[in-house]
Amino acid sequence: MAVYRRSNRTRTLLVVLVLVAITLVTVDARSSGSGLLSRLRSDVHDGLSPLQRATHHALQPIGDFISGATSYGSLKAENQRLRQEIAGMVATNVNAAAAQQEADRIMAAAHLPFLGQIPNLQARVIDRGSSNFQNTFTIDKGSADGLVTGQPVVAAGAAGTTGGLVGALGSVFRRTATVDLLTDPNFVVGVALSQGNTGTAEGIGAGSPLRVSVISTSVATPPKMAKGEAVSTSGLQLEMFPPGIPVGTIASVATTQGSQEPTMTLQPLVDLSQLDIVTVELWSPQTGP
Amino acid sequence: MTERGKARLRVAALVVVAFLLQATVVSDLRIDEVAPDLLLVVAICAGLAGGARQGVLVGFMAGLLADLYLTETPVGLSALVLCIVGYGVGTLRENVLPEGWLLTPALAMVATGGGVALFVAVGDIVGQTQLVAMGRSGLVRIAVIEAVWSGVLAVPVSWLFSKAAQGSAGAATLDRGRQDRTSIR
Repeated sequence: MAVYRRSNRTRTLLVVLVLVAITLVTVDARSSGSGLLSRLRSDVHDGLSPLQRATHHALQPIGDFISGATSYGSLKAENQRLRQEIAGMVATNVNAAAAQQEADRIMAAAHLPFLGQIPNLQARVIDRGSSNFQNTFTIDKGSADGLVTGQPVVAAGAAGTTGGLVGALGSVFRRTATVDLLTDPNFVVGVALSQGNTGTAEGIGAGSPLRVSVISTSVATPPKMAKGEAVSTSGLQLEMFPPGIPVGTIASVATTQGSQEPTMTLQPLVDLSQLDIVTVELWSPQTGP
Repeated sequence: MTERGKARLRVAALVVVAFLLQATVVSDLRIDEVAPDLLLVVAICAGLAGGARQGVLVGFMAGLLADLYLTETPVGLSALVLCIVGYGVGTLRENVLPEGWLLTPALAMVATGGGVALFVAVGDIVGQTQLVAMGRSGLVRIAVIEAVWSGVLAVPVSWLFSKAAQGSAGAATLDRGRQDRTSIR
């Protein structure tokens, strides 16, 4: 009898907590970005940021090792290259070289060729997102540094490439901000296609290329894009991004029968799994730079 | 402080530590872009070590913490899913499942698959359509890899939980059940 009553009480507890959770979901959905729950969220993020800064830097090698183990093939080639590089570096002071390299990377991030006259700010990635259903990064700059929701985030590419779009600022807290990556299903960006056409590229999830849809065919000819061709932001009026930021290269083109417009996918230019330093463009659609 | 109160404090401390680890270290552990969900593992292990009641409470707490750190899904969604998972695991443990070294990782894997499916399904119902945007194959991939992570992590985490929950009401019930079973044998 006692056991029966106990399990009955547990069931009541479950029902009560489920109802509380549903209430919270409703309240949060209705308040959309303001109110007590978002203030709590903001406090949690700001409170965590010192810990994240410290641990991410110290523990990144372990994470890199694990993700490295799953992409062994490509790393082998890079390893070969790095070995040769190291042989050349042994003579010099390696520590000084590492510090110099870091400085070079930050300088490179501040002088990406497509930034133009737009003021920018460099930030370090301190968390790679704790959920598999949310493609976001946390960076170590926030509203205290002048960041505003919606600002474009870009990064340099791997050695020898120009780099390109990473995403946009999602939630901005006082000392940290989250970057919604361009592979996130909530993410849409207007892109310029060949022959005066424009379209949109939208994310469909981490690790998958972006889906491109053609929006306007300003001339009678539909866009003809070849595999490997680079695509940049269109920067049309009311767009969230300034024109000319490289987004990706065309990964596949397929023409379905009966349709004028090809179905295309877009591979981001920046390797999102290896990001360390990113650049925030202090630009908004209303005010410009 | 009573033995039960101490057990409660220890369990709560474990949940907070798990949350801090998830927000700092765990997100860097990725196989094919998929990271473990330590708070889901915590909800499962709480149910395993302390029964349904502890599973519900710890699941809700852990879920709420996870919600406060996420930014795209509404607060309460993880709490809802994790307290149901904790309850399910705890009820199974109390009524059906025998003990065994394989039980923990196996149950953790199954429960993680169920938890991921529930999160996506409830999320889709409350309007979070981005959760299903990656299609069925993408969701299955995430669920499978996350389940493998959980299977591995559940072994140390459930050991910690059984230590922490010692003296709690739930652990006492499970202990009584164990004695009954041995005496029957």
